[in-house]
Amino acid sequence: MKKRDMILTIIGIIALFGLAFFVQEEMDSYIRRIVNLCLVYAIIGLSMNLTNGFVGQFSLGQAGFMAIGAYTVGIFTVPVEYRENIFYAMPMNPAIADIELPLWAALILGGALAALFAFAIGTPVLRLRGDYLAVTTLGFSEIIRIWITNAQSITNGALGIKDIPPLNDVRYIFLVTVICFVFITLLVNSSYGRAFKAIREDEIAAEAMGINLFWHKNLAFMVSAFFAGIGGGLYGALLGTVDPKNFLFTLTYNFLLIIVLGGMGSITGSMLGAVIVTAGLEYLRFFDEPLMLFGMDIPLFRPGFRMVIFSVLLMVCVLFWRHGIMGTREFTWQKAIDFVKNPLGFIKRKGAAQ
Amino acid sequence: MKFKKLLSLLAVSALATGLLAGCGGEEKAADSNVIKVGVFLPLTGDNAAGGELELRGIKLANQLHPEVLGKKVELVVADNKSDKAEAASVAARLIEKDKVSAIVGSYGSSLSMAAGNIVKENKVPAVGTSCTNPQVTANNDYYFRACFIDPFQGKVMAEYAHQNGFKKVAIVQEVSNDYSVGLAKFFREEFVKLTGDENSIVDIANYQTGDKDFTAILTNIKAQDPDAVFAPGNFTESALLVKQARQLGIDAQFMGGDTWETQEFIDVGGKDVEGVALSTAFDREKASTEEAKKFLDAYTKEYNGEPSALTAMAYDAYLIAVNGIEKAGTATDTVKIRDAIAATKDLECVTGMTTLDENGDPIKDVVIKTVKDGKFTFKDYVKAQAK
Repeated sequence: MKKRDMILTIIGIIALFGLAFFVQEEMDSYIRRIVNLCLVYAIIGLSMNLTNGFVGQFSLGQAGFMAIGAYTVGIFTVPVEYRENIFYAMPMNPAIADIELPLWAALILGGALAALFAFAIGTPVLRLRGDYLAVTTLGFSEIIRIWITNAQSITNGALGIKDIPPLNDVRYIFLVTVICFVFITLLVNSSYGRAFKAIREDEIAAEAMGINLFWHKNLAFMVSAFFAGIGGGLYGALLGTVDPKNFLFTLTYNFLLIIVLGGMGSITGSMLGAVIVTAGLEYLRFFDEPLMLFGMDIPLFRPGFRMVIFSVLLMVCVLFWRHGIMGTREFTWQKAIDFVKNPLGFIKRKGAAQ
Repeated sequence: MKFKKLLSLLAVSALATGLLAGCGGEEKAADSNVIKVGVFLPLTGDNAAGGELELRGIKLANQLHPEVLGKKVELVVADNKSDKAEAASVAARLIEKDKVSAIVGSYGSSLSMAAGNIVKENKVPAVGTSCTNPQVTANNDYYFRACFIDPFQGKVMAEYAHQNGFKKVAIVQEVSNDYSVGLAKFFREEFVKLTGDENSIVDIANYQTGDKDFTAILTNIKAQDPDAVFAPGNFTESALLVKQARQLGIDAQFMGGDTWETQEFIDVGGKDVEGVALSTAFDREKASTEEAKKFLDAYTKEYNGEPSALTAMAYDAYLIAVNGIEKAGTATDTVKIRDAIAATKDLECVTGMTTLDENGDPIKDVVIKTVKDGKFTFKDYVKAQAK
């Protein structure tokens, strides 16, 4: 059974790679951009799900970690000859002005810096629980943003950085997404993962079983920050420009929405949530365009209307699926096979189980 | 249960309407008798107020100039949600799905910068409305704009300060705002150059967007006793700053940029903001061109009150784009349109005769206004010259 699933997974990933190639070669830049955005949001959503869904620590610092990743990519991948023009208000710090890294190196460096920062703030902050942890992590993400605003010689302050070599290659981003997903799946299914879930269910019981709470929480927090940094770096490269206002704390809520919708504590749910939120909002864009029905201009169809529809759909989702679309369940091949064999019976059994 | 069924029915019907609407849209796309111009503005989110004002300008311009090359110009309005990721996708959508000939927008430099790579890659020209950060057009042959840039505005204000005989000036900048930082930087450089005195800038103070109390900054400034204070920034914070300065007994001349020109600035500042000087692009009384008269007439007919400079600028952006299409003589060859826009010279616009320089930035006159009896009034005029 396990062998079959393994083979199927590998075939599935190869098939998706094929799809990524197809999208890259055949689709127009609009579709490519949406697919890329879905993938990047899935990485960041997954990283947030690790602390919030699997370890049960309500952390809201994702925007800050993303900012570290995005700025590392921004600072180190902009071609040196453009830098003087970009840093027109205050010249770039000579210590870093001539360093130019390839994108992959900048991504890893950004992730590492984010993880390092997560370690530094995690040590005092992870002693807190629940709302208090949420408030402090939110505060730290704002501190990062304000530091970036003020460190003009490194980050160009409020003026932002542009001319980051554009990355709109689905294959590249897909590869990074696969690496992130495989890594986190392995982590969650390891003994560390079981410890994470034990902490989520009951901290005191977990501690009594000999799990080192502090170490495990900190580890999850760092891994989460690492991938958020990588996701942020991809986000910066995808847009080609970063500025501090990108990383307001409201950005974090975007990912909170993704994981709540997809399912807190579900890896496949994060992917699903990211696709629904990103592609869904784009799909609903026709609500923003004027609509003529029977020669009448329907006044409701104006910019912003899709947000109303989207909110209603979200509420419907939450009413039907209290724990998000996937809950803490995962996609498994067994379930998929059962479904294909007998779709009606599968839904009935599932209904009975609930 | 009934409630749930009702809700799901609602959701399904919403999606179905969408499908219908989607089909309708595609039929329209096949129509080759229209020329599509994309309108790329923040109509929801933080910058929605500015986006809405600019949409007015573009719609008015479309009403008055509905045709080019004998075809109707159709506006495709796209909301970028004041979000950069969204801005990038929506710009790609305008180009790929709607196949627009040119794009007009956006309010907010960061949003325009996010679209910059996309217009460059796809070779579709874009004319910014009020994105003043020089980086928007720098190193991008496909982005132009109708507004003047931060460095230019900063330099003009420095010149103005110099002409008025100010010797010592303090700068207060909103450090989290790219616009404010840009203006302050070029004001400082130009003013030091004009006065030839390194110490003519006596103090540079920073504050953050949303700050309410400026006493600490102002106490320092008071100790320096400057002749004028240059404080470009958001209107609410700036109004509070001026108010608190007057309370502390600072009687220096306050100067700012075009963001001050809002009713809220006067509402918050009250009597204390009387006499401040600010630079802007448009003034009703000084409106010299024919186009401006047409614009003003149409505006008063359609909306109440005074048109804001943003509306005028958006109107001009549309004119620049449409003029480019006309000069190029084609609606499909976007590279030709780009070249025609780049060659814009002495085009009659609402905010004066417009010529684009080699970066795609306009060279135009600046109006200096002041607040008198609770109203913005014309004060001075600075002639355009290549900076």
